[in-house]
Amino acid sequence: MKKTQIVLIILIAVVVGTFIATFTGANTSVAFEEAFANPGKEYKVSGTLNRDYPVTYDPQTNSELTVFHMFDKEGNSQMVNLKKAKPTGLEQSESIDLYGRVIDGEFVATEMLMKCPSKYNKNKHNLETAEVEN
Amino acid sequence: MEDIVYQGEWTWAATLGRFLIAGGFAAAIAGFIGYLMGALGKGNESWKRFGRTAFIIHAVSFLLVIVLIYTLIFNHRYEFQYIWKHLNNQMGTPLQFSCFWGGQEGGFLLWMFWHIVLALIFIRRRSTWEAPVMAIIASVQAWLACMLLGVYFGDYQFGIDPFLLIREAPENIGLPWTRNAEYLSLPLFADGQGLNPLLQNYWMVIHPPTLFLGFASTLMPFAFAIAGLWKKQYIEWMRPATPWAFFGIMILGTGILMGGAWAYEALSFGGFWAWDPVENSSLVPWLLLVGGGHLLMVNRNKVTSVFSALFLIIGSFILIVYSTFLTKSGILGDTSVHSFVDSGILPQLLVYLLFFSGVGAVMMLKHIRWRWIIAAFWAVLLAIGIWGSSKATMNVTIVFLASLAAVLIIAYAKHIPRPKVEEDLWSREFWIFIGSVILLVAGIQISFATSIPVFNKLLEPYSETFMGLHESTGWAWFKSLADHNFAPSTDIDAAYHVYQVPLAFLFIMLSGFTQWLKYKKTDPKKFLGQIVRSFVAAGALLMLVLHFFDFSAGEFPRIALVFATLFAVTSNVDYLISMVKGKWDKSGSAIAHIGFGLLIFGAVISTSQKDIISQNQMGDITTLNNDFDNREDILLLQGDTLQMGDYFISYKNRYDKGIHVMFEIDYFEMVPKQFKEGDVIFFSNMFFEAKEDHLASRTFIRDMESKWRTIPLPNERHAREAQRWVAGIPGEKLFTLEPRVQLNEQMGNAPEPDTKHFIHQDLYTHIKWGQISPPETDEEGFLGGRAHDLHVGDSLLVSNVLVTIDSLSAVPDSMKPAYSLLEKDIALRVHCSLRERNRVEAIDPLYIIRDSLIVPDAQTYDNWGLKFLVNSFNPVDQTINLTIWEHESIRRDFIVMQAVIFPQINILWLGCIIMIIGTTLAVRHRIKLSKRSKKA
Repeated sequence: MKKTQIVLIILIAVVVGTFIATFTGANTSVAFEEAFANPGKEYKVSGTLNRDYPVTYDPQTNSELTVFHMFDKEGNSQMVNLKKAKPTGLEQSESIDLYGRVIDGEFVATEMLMKCPSKYNKNKHNLETAEVEN
Repeated sequence: MEDIVYQGEWTWAATLGRFLIAGGFAAAIAGFIGYLMGALGKGNESWKRFGRTAFIIHAVSFLLVIVLIYTLIFNHRYEFQYIWKHLNNQMGTPLQFSCFWGGQEGGFLLWMFWHIVLALIFIRRRSTWEAPVMAIIASVQAWLACMLLGVYFGDYQFGIDPFLLIREAPENIGLPWTRNAEYLSLPLFADGQGLNPLLQNYWMVIHPPTLFLGFASTLMPFAFAIAGLWKKQYIEWMRPATPWAFFGIMILGTGILMGGAWAYEALSFGGFWAWDPVENSSLVPWLLLVGGGHLLMVNRNKVTSVFSALFLIIGSFILIVYSTFLTKSGILGDTSVHSFVDSGILPQLLVYLLFFSGVGAVMMLKHIRWRWIIAAFWAVLLAIGIWGSSKATMNVTIVFLASLAAVLIIAYAKHIPRPKVEEDLWSREFWIFIGSVILLVAGIQISFATSIPVFNKLLEPYSETFMGLHESTGWAWFKSLADHNFAPSTDIDAAYHVYQVPLAFLFIMLSGFTQWLKYKKTDPKKFLGQIVRSFVAAGALLMLVLHFFDFSAGEFPRIALVFATLFAVTSNVDYLISMVKGKWDKSGSAIAHIGFGLLIFGAVISTSQKDIISQNQMGDITTLNNDFDNREDILLLQGDTLQMGDYFISYKNRYDKGIHVMFEIDYFEMVPKQFKEGDVIFFSNMFFEAKEDHLASRTFIRDMESKWRTIPLPNERHAREAQRWVAGIPGEKLFTLEPRVQLNEQMGNAPEPDTKHFIHQDLYTHIKWGQISPPETDEEGFLGGRAHDLHVGDSLLVSNVLVTIDSLSAVPDSMKPAYSLLEKDIALRVHCSLRERNRVEAIDPLYIIRDSLIVPDAQTYDNWGLKFLVNSFNPVDQTINLTIWEHESIRRDFIVMQAVIFPQINILWLGCIIMIIGTTLAVRHRIKLSKRSKKA
């Protein structure tokens, strides 16, 4: 066998390996229900901020805790303890991805990603009220 | 309905602009046809000239489009949607330049602009490759131009029009003001929206043009590769393509690193690289281009790995298109901190991507007949994809990807000139080939991980099939596939590093020793003798690094990587000195490799050894759960001076500056505290007495054994004299940092870091939380109160006042009149004491029940700035619920800040610069060689 062929076989093996690892190693996004059914296991939960509740962040008591409520993809709302300082733009966020687990009956998130209003589609509202300003 | 004559609009500009785009589009197609005909067979000079003229018309049209857009920008023509969205009256001239590429339309134009520039340079050189290469370039330009047509076929949007008038925008149609002939005099249109403030800095002026030039520069080698396959000159295309490939490596690399520098300097991502999809999708083409470029160079000396060279060069361009697709189509959704939306041209972008992937693969087939058969097959797929249902589109995409893979395998099996003899193990070409394979694997891993949202989309239509498989086999994995909601791992860094660190180790080792290998065959003994010096030197340097920095044993791969970078540097320095001997022409590669080694060295040291020095000094911030002991941020009250790392810091002031709120933080040197014999201190609830006079070390643990004696039974004197142990006291003021928060109504306020640069490290600080607007108060000036559940004996700190509940007592009947109480009232006195420094006062807010109803009785203590209200009293467990309000006059401003030390980060930037210089020298050398070979 030629050396290049050996290298290519290794290459293919590694690529297939990474492909499988990408999926088995990846988190899956779930609803709160599943996370609460398996306390202690880490999950990703996606959803939107529940604006019926305030976002509480009291840095003088705990600068690394933000508490808010979130709807998951199935529309269930849960209280979330985010172990971080309040991320800027949380109130404006369009969607939220949380990484965390259930501890003592509460969802504790260690990491969070937000999708914020796009810089491309903004202030449509302003245009709709242009007549009033006139 | 009569036509409205709108006042003050530059409609002529819209007409002219659209005409130029349409004309430029047509000219690109004409250029493609002309060059295509000119390149067929033995070549046709007149067709070629026709193609050239058409392409120049195309170039001029689009340059005029750009000039026109700049004219609109500089004249603030807000009737144009693009201008209104990206410009406002506050932006200065440099930012007005950058608002051109603030949106997708401008992004496409910038990309086309660089293609045009590169193509015109190429045409000027009157290369023999002009016709076939320019045919490819013209076809790419036609595709890009059609993205800007902005025409609708029914509901199907074809391109986005940069000259769209704001009243014509789909989202505005039917709004009342669009029927107003003088709508431009509405206050709304006197000023535009402006670029997102996050983008309003000088990086926005220099980064996108550089990066887009990098994107554009992958087109040239790609066009050469396709032209080579087309003209069956499988080797000959490589020589003229090499300088372009190295130019691409240089400029794309610069663009990517500039993005990293932007993220580090101006955005609070907390580092220069975040494995963000946007960064990844431009890194992967670069990796492939580096691999491909090196293989082109090898082929100059010996014909080998032609297939790999073609694959990597074609792949780098395809992945640039893929990256555009990922970032502009909105498919990445919320996996990126960057925000993207679907601009409505997703199908168009997808077809563009698949078209060139198809072209690239089909051209790799050797037999012309098969090329046509496969092309026809794919054309049918495309038609089904466009007109079929969405499920059909997905099926078709999968069939396409599968057949693409099959075509590539066949192309490899049947491939064009193979080396007659196998590469020698001790040859430069063999190890460069291995290096490019490693780069490919690294690129594939990054691509897979970045493309998870794409895979989810592809899995969507097969959900039921996988669910069925799951039910029949019971494998959980099938269920995950059926759910098709894979998400990137939580620890993004770890997910990439586990693959990238070993790959980088191998690759960087290669970049160290391959220099010393000769083409074709090297004497192994001589070679080993040459590299052993660098090996030893790198080993010695590693010892030095391990002495200064703490690496744990579990970090072995990282230590190996550090060794590799040191070896790459020492080996290339040695090569530069002993072999190149100051000849500039030949020094490019050694210099570039030194730069690359330093870059990775700086990156590994600064990220793995970063030290978050802003650990919390006040209270316990981990009240909820010890599992998540974050301890990353410091809470700073205005005026307080706290120790942080090797400094004392003090939050001095906050002030507004333009769109920023600046937080002024002074840094003082830390002078070790002098303790005298007999001094009493306490540390974690234990008392100690100094054995001798000494200066404190940085941590108590270091001093505890030798300098302190525990006091097992502290007496009253100890308790009175004892002070909390501190390592030092503030000394001279050293410098001031001003991390800031940018006020941004659109995106939410955004923190921006401030960094103190030292030669050996950076101190990087950013605000996690700060009071931006004055806090809300009631009419008396009290802030929102907080309720506390308290018992007798409890104390709490409100602002600087210590409130202690001393006792409870009922108000006797005799005293009721004095408290203005009625006789039937039941009243409880809550005896509290207020303490601040030497000031003490006893107060007794009342809890009153009248006719079994609670009578709220808020008490204000003006000289303390506090207001008390007893809400309830639970006699069972003696709990008092007490609300305390602070007056705004006594409240102290505070911030939550994070501070990180990045050691040796300057080596990273130094490495960047050295690498850019080295690559530039290499490009210069390649151009010379290419010219020389043309003359010969």
